Amino acid sequence: MKSLVLGFAALLMSSSAYAADPGVTDTEIKIGDVNILTGPASFIGRAVSVGSKMAAAEINEAGGVNGRKIVIATEDDGYVPARSFQGLKKLIESDEIFALNGTSGTANILAMLPLIEENNLPTVVTTTPAELVYKPVRPSVFVIGARYVDAFYGQLKYIHDKLEPANPVYGLIRQDDDFGVTVEGGYDRAVKEFGVKDGIRLKFKRGTTNFSAEVLQLRAAGVNVLANGGIIAGAANILGEARKLSMDMQVASVWSEDMPPSVKLSAPAGYAYLVGDYVALNDQATDAFDATAKKYLSEGEVAAINRYSYITYVGLKVLAKAMEGCGKELTRACTIEQLRKIKDFDTGGLTAPISFDNDLQLSGTSLKIYQLDPKTQKFTTLQDFTDFSAK
Amino acid sequence: MEFFVLLVATGLVSGAAYGMIAMGFALIYKATGVVNFAQGELVMLTAYIAFSIATSFELSFFPLLLVTIPIAMVIGLLLERIFIRPMLGEPVFAIVMVTIGLAVIIRGVTIMIWGPDPFEFPGLPTTVIYLGSLPFYPAQLYALGALAVLVLAAWAFLNRSRVGIAMRAVAANEKAALLMGIGVPRIHALAWSLSSAIAAVAGILFAANFKLGPDLWFQGLKSFPAVILGGLDSVIGAAIGGLVIGVIENMAQGYLGQGLREIAGFVVIVLVLMIRPYGLFGEREIERV
Repeated sequence: MKSLVLGFAALLMSSSAYAADPGVTDTEIKIGDVNILTGPASFIGRAVSVGSKMAAAEINEAGGVNGRKIVIATEDDGYVPARSFQGLKKLIESDEIFALNGTSGTANILAMLPLIEENNLPTVVTTTPAELVYKPVRPSVFVIGARYVDAFYGQLKYIHDKLEPANPVYGLIRQDDDFGVTVEGGYDRAVKEFGVKDGIRLKFKRGTTNFSAEVLQLRAAGVNVLANGGIIAGAANILGEARKLSMDMQVASVWSEDMPPSVKLSAPAGYAYLVGDYVALNDQATDAFDATAKKYLSEGEVAAINRYSYITYVGLKVLAKAMEGCGKELTRACTIEQLRKIKDFDTGGLTAPISFDNDLQLSGTSLKIYQLDPKTQKFTTLQDFTDFSAK
Repeated sequence: MEFFVLLVATGLVSGAAYGMIAMGFALIYKATGVVNFAQGELVMLTAYIAFSIATSFELSFFPLLLVTIPIAMVIGLLLERIFIRPMLGEPVFAIVMVTIGLAVIIRGVTIMIWGPDPFEFPGLPTTVIYLGSLPFYPAQLYALGALAVLVLAAWAFLNRSRVGIAMRAVAANEKAALLMGIGVPRIHALAWSLSSAIAAVAGILFAANFKLGPDLWFQGLKSFPAVILGGLDSVIGAAIGGLVIGVIENMAQGYLGQGLREIAGFVVIVLVLMIRPYGLFGEREIERV
């Protein structure tokens, strides 16, 4: 009888982790990832998954988080917000995840936020630093990344201060949506602050391929400093039309334009365009990452690496650091509390040091300014991590 | 004035792509009475096939056309044989639904094979050519030239060849044509085959001008105003409609701005359907679905 009581007590003690929040056992912590694994934007989701996988592999090889291995559970949302909601619901109710690292696009995380809040799910957002995600602040949501407003302002400031184009006439072309509004925010701040000529502001519908009329409008306005809010093929088509018209321009771009598929499309136009990004592209940090990737990832996965891999890798490392701070008694509440205490977390140069100890729980607002060499299709750093946000 | 002329010139270039895609729509409609909602997807699929051939064998434009067009024609024949022929005698609405299903399948298969990343289309020179003061990329001039050649070929085929006249007979009255000994199923298959050939030319030139990506299928939808304007059953009218829509879109963007290019064509659809539902060159008896 005594042994039975002792056995029961031992069972209760050993299963203390089961009494904690879902997703945690004595040996594992399950982290969720809702992402774009199918469809035209899946190069983002694949890169995100690769980043999470590599971080988990590294953490696990080093002994895990206080002895518990990290397991990643991924759901594909195809970039459809309704599917993001369904995917997260499955991760919470069926897979019983403890926290969330990959969070898809802006509209997608907005669709997931009610579930995240309802379950007090520790969430690190790495791919969508949109204001709608961190304003108002959701207690369990932590965001890494700068704003497009600051990225465009920073690039235009560099052009204004350092490249000093003669007789500058600024122009903007941007999508007719929330993303485009943020691009215009940075442009607006720049032209007002620098007192330069605001030549023309153009909007286009998402999915536009032919920009011939728009580029003619830019030329007619005399634009020689362009805030190019086009993305991937769109941005490339804008630059291609400009080249045909022999337009001499300094160009500021969206950070998607530093990814290899975009560079391959845009570089032939010959513009040494700028990119502002909160992720390192070309230094020792990314070299080290790429070298380590070969140890943990397959050849196909290594080929899928891009800036989203670096940032999601950082996201899981930060999350692991917070979970580690909770010791063996790992709960969601404790992890959130630990995330709030994260200050100057060193990412090895992949981003500026991460700090969530601010009112918005937003980190990584600092940006690097890069310039493309269209001949070699490589970027050089013009300016190291700098905070361009309005004080 | 230069601004106006450049808007017209670049509008004609994008209109040429619309026109070619629209010709494919009209050809199938003329022969079978069915609107093929997978036409844009055929354009995308054949462009991707041409891309693979061009990158594998480093073919320049004209050899690439010579290789891709027969492949596209075989694809058209197969699609007609597998998906459309079994539907013969079924309501038109059912056949249209099959083409919609086909469209979704082609989109999925294309991404499965070639992935989601967009590509620069290889094999065409990118040196700017000036016609007077007007700058063009070679692919843009090829698009205009290809449309002209296709229009001439379509006119000659439909008016001067026995098969083309048989196709017109099938379009005019299928039962009467059948009684006169015309092989209607063969004519249907030929229409799909020729339409796929046109799709291949359109796809290659569109991709060369505006990149190759998995959203290329959308150009099928964007070309629809051209078919409605020209007339659903008028192959040559559809080509002219394409040019007109291309110029209208550019004018709308150039002079009104604010992204109006993307809706200008569809405004034209609404107006044409209200004023002249059979289009500029179509016949009055069209029954639309």
